[in-house]
Amino acid sequence: MKSATVSAFALSTMLFSASVSFAQELATKDRIGLADAPKSLVVRLTNDSPNNSDPAIAEGYQKLFVDFIKKHPDWKLQLQFMSSDIGTEQAKMLEQAKAGNAPDCAAVDSFVLSQFMVNNVLADFTSYFSKEEVDDLFPFIRSGITDKDQKVRAWWWDTDLRVLYRNKSIVADAPQTWDDLKKAALASTKEGMEGVLFNGGRWEGTTFDWLANYWALGGKLVDDSGKPVFGEGENKEKFLKALNYFKDLVDSGAAPKRVSTIANYDDMNAAAAAATTALFIGGNWQYAQLKATLDEDEFNNWTFSPIPGPSADQRSTGTGGWTIASFSKDKDKIEMRANLAREVYMGPANALQQQLPTRKSLFDKYEVFSTEANKTFAAALVDGQARPGVPIYPEISNQIQIMMGDVLSGTKKPEDALNAAFNAALEAYKRL
Amino acid sequence: MSPIAIEADSPPQSRTFMRRFAGAPLPWIMPVIVVIGIFYLYPVIDVFRLSFTNATLIGDNQDYTLGSITNALSSPQLPDILWATLIFVGGSVIGQQILGLAVAVVVIRGEKRGLFGTTILRTTALVAWVVPGIAGGIIWQMLFSEAPYGALNSILRLMHMPTVAWLSDPAIAPWSTLISNIWRGTAFSMVVMYAALKSIDPSLYEAAEVDGATASQQFFFVTLPQLRAAILVNMILITIQTVNTFDAIITLTGGGPGRATEVISLYVFNIVFRNYDLSGGSVLSVLMLIISLGLAFIYASFLPKEEEQ
Repeated sequence: MKSATVSAFALSTMLFSASVSFAQELATKDRIGLADAPKSLVVRLTNDSPNNSDPAIAEGYQKLFVDFIKKHPDWKLQLQFMSSDIGTEQAKMLEQAKAGNAPDCAAVDSFVLSQFMVNNVLADFTSYFSKEEVDDLFPFIRSGITDKDQKVRAWWWDTDLRVLYRNKSIVADAPQTWDDLKKAALASTKEGMEGVLFNGGRWEGTTFDWLANYWALGGKLVDDSGKPVFGEGENKEKFLKALNYFKDLVDSGAAPKRVSTIANYDDMNAAAAAATTALFIGGNWQYAQLKATLDEDEFNNWTFSPIPGPSADQRSTGTGGWTIASFSKDKDKIEMRANLAREVYMGPANALQQQLPTRKSLFDKYEVFSTEANKTFAAALVDGQARPGVPIYPEISNQIQIMMGDVLSGTKKPEDALNAAFNAALEAYKRL
Repeated sequence: MSPIAIEADSPPQSRTFMRRFAGAPLPWIMPVIVVIGIFYLYPVIDVFRLSFTNATLIGDNQDYTLGSITNALSSPQLPDILWATLIFVGGSVIGQQILGLAVAVVVIRGEKRGLFGTTILRTTALVAWVVPGIAGGIIWQMLFSEAPYGALNSILRLMHMPTVAWLSDPAIAPWSTLISNIWRGTAFSMVVMYAALKSIDPSLYEAAEVDGATASQQFFFVTLPQLRAAILVNMILITIQTVNTFDAIITLTGGGPGRATEVISLYVFNIVFRNYDLSGGSVLSVLMLIISLGLAFIYASFLPKEEEQ
């Protein structure tokens, strides 16, 4: 009896050790899959991965990746992670791809996808996704991943949008127009608030969040050939109108001057947590962050609505998101990358991070998207507009950031600042 | 074991090798030459080459042209960028030099008197130096925050003083970046000055005291002249370091508002990684190199000559 017990204990210990050892072998810090797996795929990812700073999300991704690799036991994923300096990371990756040193596949930000397309560094993905899957994508997503030859060059798996958050106890009704927002913000300052907050510092968020106002007026940044047109003709008028709207918010005190220093959505969360603001323009993902940050009673005061337009029926909102693309032209690797996009990212990862899917059907598939908030976000995608997929966009954005700082701080008059930004963008366009 | 014994024990082949190259330095320094050539010289040469092309990050074709040089140097933004750089570099060098010397003098005097806290002071200053630039930028962003809960403005409010638009006012923001960089670089100057102060012959101070020199006279007529070489070398080093600084600024202000705090290193970064203009960035990198070398030569010309030493 004693020996049987010892044997059973030894056997169970061995089995436990073996299973632990197997689990450890399947998922290390930079590898998913067995170390001696015959096939290998080098994958470079953002924090939408086991590298996420939130331990629960990191663990969730690790589980998704391990489940995925169990279905493909001949493979191992060699993981590389990007820093948060996305612009630089993407530019470096483009250089690597051109030199033939890029990873097999990687996360590519949707707004720089065109740079990769024009350099012909992305593998053709068309045959790896069914027509139904492609047709199910929102139209702006579909056009974003398709090149001029109508070939699918990447899989855009998540999207987002910007909304106006408000504290209902201070601003009861959702502002519908620019004037409404100004009045509500000014009224909130009388209750000790800062007014409306938005990104106005030197970073991409400043351009992207403000563009919703320009797009609501029907303005265009570039023409069909990708040449900047925002500083001429009707576009110039619309641009100035949208720019003056933000300037007026600051000049009137409806927004604090410090908006020109805000270059991070976390600043808005901090202001909400400190109860110093009742209104801010932020991303849909901040709703979950507010829920995690604020007490339940405080959180219940917060809601969101579409970004106000010049009139109630002129609305727009910026939509972005991440794609998975393949730099390797090896057929097996392209297929494996397509599997990764389909089995890990297209659906499961959306649900894990509550990041809006790019396919309509997935909103019904996952319960997490059946909440009122996520339904509203999904409905608002109707007004969504993506950044133009042209190589000059990053420089246009850079110039708009400079312009915004000059205008909001009072250094330059709006028209002078616009002219300077437009001329600089045209000069840069000529050099591309 | 004597050298003769080593030779006797060595195998004949090795001995032949040693004898053949004993008087030739090239084989011994070749590894260093190769490493410097690959990792230092080649990138510099390539930057010079790229500045004579129209290369971009997203294009495959590149032609040799002088257009990139004329474009980059005639850019209407360049004078503002150079002015912001001058304020940032000049202010940082002066501030770091003076504060570094002051802290070093305080530490030395404290040590002489056996005061408690000199090690703590030295360590505290060094902490700022070891903090990465990006982290330093985040720390100062929190301090300069103009939100109602911003650190420095909250202190001013407690003292019933008006708050300051540290980062949103284009006239004040450059000084804010300057303060953060002086904070970060003072420790390096302190270390250099501390070592130089330690090496001054104490008999010079004894002689000055015998002659009845006051403390300030001793400082200006003994200490400073003795520190001349160290000050100039330190200035060369911190000038080069500051001209290349952009990590702290990109976190603190991103170069804004507008272009108020966009120094040349950040401008180059933006041109290459936002505008994808590799040749324009290369031209400006060469300009940065010329500025750094020019300033270094100017400082070096004031270094005491061998006969003066």
